[in-house]
Amino acid sequence: MIKNYFKTAWRNLVRNKVYSLINILGLSIGMAACILILLWVQNQLSHDRFHKNLDRIYIVNNRDIGDGGKFAWSWTPNIMGPTLKKDYPEVADAVRYVEGNNFLFTVGEKKMVPSGAFADPGFLSVFSFPLISGDAKNALAEVSNIVLTEKLARSLFGADDPLGKIVKIDSNAHFKVTGVLKNLPDNTAFDFAYLLPWSYKDKLGWTDSAWGNNGLNTYVMLKPGTSQATFDQKINKITTNHLPGDPLYKNREVFTQPFKDQWLYSKQENGRYIGGRIDMVRMFTAIATLILIIACINFMNLSTARSEKRAKEVGIRKVVGAQKKGLIFQFIGESVLLSGIAFLFALAIVIIFLPGFSTLVDQQLHLPFTDPLFWMSAVTFILVSGLLAGSYPAFYLSAFNPVKVLKGFFKSSTAAVNPRKVLVVIQFTFAVLLIISTFIVMQQIKHAQARDNGYNAQHLVFVKMNGAIENNYSLIRNELINRGAVVSVTKSMSPITERYSDSWNFSWTGSTEEDKKTDFVRMASDADFVKTLGTKLVMGRDIDIFKYPSDSNAILLNETAAKMMHLKDPLNAILKADDIEWRVVGVVKDFIYQSPYEKVQQLIVFGPKSWFNTMHFKLNPANTTRQNLDIVAAIFKQFNPEYPFDYKFVDAEYARKFKEEQKTGTMAALFAGLTIFISCLGLFALSTYMAETRIKEIGVRKVLGASIFNITSLLSGSFLKLVIISCVVASPIAWFVMHNWLKNYQYRISIGWPVFAGTALLVMVIALVTISFQSVKAALSNPVKALRSE
Amino acid sequence: MIKITNLEKIYRTEEVETVALNDLSFEVRDGEFVAVMGPSGCGKSTLLNILGLLDDPDAGSFLFNGVEVAKFNERKRADMRKKNIGFVFQSFNLIDELTVFENVELPLMYAGVKKSERKARVDEVLEKVQIMHRRNHFPQQLSGGQQQRVAVARAVVNKPKLILADEPTGNLDSSNGNEVMQMLTDLNEAGTTIVMVTHSEHDARYSHRIIRMLDGHTVTENILV
Ligand SMILES: Nc1ncnc2c1ncn2[C@@H]1O[C@H](COP(=O)(O)OP(=O)(O)OP(=O)(O)O)[C@@H](O)[C@H]1O
Ligand SMILES: [Mg+2]
Repeated sequence: MIKNYFKTAWRNLVRNKVYSLINILGLSIGMAACILILLWVQNQLSHDRFHKNLDRIYIVNNRDIGDGGKFAWSWTPNIMGPTLKKDYPEVADAVRYVEGNNFLFTVGEKKMVPSGAFADPGFLSVFSFPLISGDAKNALAEVSNIVLTEKLARSLFGADDPLGKIVKIDSNAHFKVTGVLKNLPDNTAFDFAYLLPWSYKDKLGWTDSAWGNNGLNTYVMLKPGTSQATFDQKINKITTNHLPGDPLYKNREVFTQPFKDQWLYSKQENGRYIGGRIDMVRMFTAIATLILIIACINFMNLSTARSEKRAKEVGIRKVVGAQKKGLIFQFIGESVLLSGIAFLFALAIVIIFLPGFSTLVDQQLHLPFTDPLFWMSAVTFILVSGLLAGSYPAFYLSAFNPVKVLKGFFKSSTAAVNPRKVLVVIQFTFAVLLIISTFIVMQQIKHAQARDNGYNAQHLVFVKMNGAIENNYSLIRNELINRGAVVSVTKSMSPITERYSDSWNFSWTGSTEEDKKTDFVRMASDADFVKTLGTKLVMGRDIDIFKYPSDSNAILLNETAAKMMHLKDPLNAILKADDIEWRVVGVVKDFIYQSPYEKVQQLIVFGPKSWFNTMHFKLNPANTTRQNLDIVAAIFKQFNPEYPFDYKFVDAEYARKFKEEQKTGTMAALFAGLTIFISCLGLFALSTYMAETRIKEIGVRKVLGASIFNITSLLSGSFLKLVIISCVVASPIAWFVMHNWLKNYQYRISIGWPVFAGTALLVMVIALVTISFQSVKAALSNPVKALRSE
Repeated sequence: MIKITNLEKIYRTEEVETVALNDLSFEVRDGEFVAVMGPSGCGKSTLLNILGLLDDPDAGSFLFNGVEVAKFNERKRADMRKKNIGFVFQSFNLIDELTVFENVELPLMYAGVKKSERKARVDEVLEKVQIMHRRNHFPQQLSGGQQQRVAVARAVVNKPKLILADEPTGNLDSSNGNEVMQMLTDLNEAGTTIVMVTHSEHDARYSHRIIRMLDGHTVTENILV
């Protein structure tokens, strides 16, 4: 019997090539999109899930009260880890970890500046990064040990066994390779090419035991059976207790977050980690489901529309003894078969587009062919889509009354509300929803991109001040300017596109005790901050240590800071930090150094008495960039010969701030495009079908004098009405969803009506074009032929 | 075999009520060959559908082999149908996607007959209706007469006790029509009860008895043998 069903299904498929193609194609595209998204979702959900101790690892966080509520952050003091380990018996291990090392590595003639991290010796035991050689327990035990990843080891030592070999770091320290790690998997938040022992950080004098200095991550591994809640309660006041009486720390709380949540829940609201990547994961899971539903709706619609052709078969089968159950089984089986075929096509599509999609989402995604779970999910997927797509037609078809069908009494429903129309409306509602959302995401990105960032990034370059740059700074500066490659230079604490440092506990003329809690972002400059970066002075002047020797204590404020400090006359105001007095020499217009979606926070640019680690310079616009960079490279080679010359363009760095949103935008656009495409495929098939079934009616109407326009609008009108209903339904939903999304951004657009009107128009035009193919064709057909075929 | 009493069937649409069968009673005995005649619209097909358990009456009694089936539900009717009744329609009603062999095989499949036996029985009836050489053709590739022979083959393959034929020759020329009528006669002689609707006095003469209907009613019965 199954064979008989199969035969009927297959012959039906082959006999109706266009329908079958549209049916399978629509379903495959929907499935492929769904699979791609689910692969990404799976990747996100698998982040750092491979650690054996996962359920016992927690990251230590701080929480405090700041302007407008509580806020949390995961940077902790150096002393936190050792204290937790020493004083709390439930802690099996506590490890400190910080990335961002830019040491110069030398092996023989080879020099490179890989990026790495410092970690406590327990790091490799707490986390499960597999070692190719060496021993996890002792690899970071000695101050002169180093652990490399396979890739770095290969580029330093080639094919030789790296274990026991020596790496020179900067100009003086020698390290013995005590471990080689497998390259880090793609789905980990950790990012390092090597690990240096924490003791080396101590040795460099880069650590302290201040409870108020937060600059690293602390991970604790609790003993089995310890509850997070109890532990959190115990450590809640640990910082406050170590700084008794200090009013600045009286509200400080310490709490843990399960490490397995760190990737997905990194966004905090009022001091709690409640969202982050998980929002995207949820959103795109929803989109994946929607796309699959839309594709399945196509399938349902086409199958039921075609049911008139299958009606006779149903009637006959019933007459010769089929029962409803058997027919339902037959039609569901048929749709599962189709969905199986569609799945194979979908796999092919996925294989073709996976590399591109991986680039788009910036994660290396794979189809896990060897994983039995994958095949089980695949079967489930086929069954679910088959059932989803086939159940309605199955019940619909099997319910036909054989007498009516065989008598030709059966007619497709022309009722005002029939399921097929409802399904089309649902489909287009989803499509319109996605399109509106895409437009709004893009508008928001454009809006932020168009925002005046307050400085001039053109020809602006920065380099990290490593090796001998600091010592030779004046020489380099003079040479750069004298040789005409650069028009101006400024040293700073961080690239202008980033914030490295912030601080509080400042006082100034007229400040209150409460003001000490205000957190200021810190930057620094020796001279020409305004001139080089192209920021705008609102009052006063640039810091210039070369002209005014007393400027080593000078500061610039941004406008927000000046406002925040309630300074009537900011110029020459005195700011006290610790015991140093700083004098305001100028106020600059706010510029964006962080997120273009947020308002600019109060910022202080400190004079040369602070520290520097970045050098900005403006290339000479009179020359080509190539000429400039050649000269610049030569100068750095001369004064900092040990280090490779590494530079970045500020405009490129600034553009990276839009990457996340652009990714969202591109993905949304992609999937919105797919939904409308799939929906239109369905519409096309439905209109083809409708034109076919109404061919006699059209013939009669034409004989009676209807014009081509009459006929076309008769046929298109009914579909267009459905599309309009969809727009009306989708618009408020889209408004609601996107209104909430925009709340994530302080600097945002307001949603206006044009985006709704524009989308409605767009979708209507697309739908009309799709339908009119068939309706015009039907309208042009020769009525005599149509009538004779009866 | 069949005994109907005061059978009634009313079709209701939004505007009109059509009384298709009105207080209809008659009996068909085992092994009989009955022809039903009457003007168009008098309710012949309606009657046949009810006799074939494809449709249910609004009132009255219908005893099939002594069992009251008028109130049977769909599942029971389907069951009764596939065990006892074969149909032949004016418009053949073969499944386009299935071959001659597969079309004839279908009732056996629904009856749960084993594959080897199915093949034997289908081949046997196809032989009998002389369509064996076309067993792998699709219905569209056959002439009307050939299609109706396949339909007859399908109706009898499960050895039903009753065959219902609704204008079986209506779409055929006279020589093809005569062939089909001869087949029905042969079946009847082999013991199958037949009820046939026809407009043709010629065809009706093959039967034992003619029931004449008018407006859902029997008006006369002519006994021919
Ligand atoms: N599904 C239906 N809905 C409404 N009325 C119906 C339906 N089926 C049949 N009728 C009506 O019932 C009456 C009997 O119809 P039936 O098909 O039984 O006639 P018939 O005797 O077979 O006619 P013909 O010789 O033309 O085939 C007719 O008046 C017909 O219009
Ligand atoms: Mg009739």
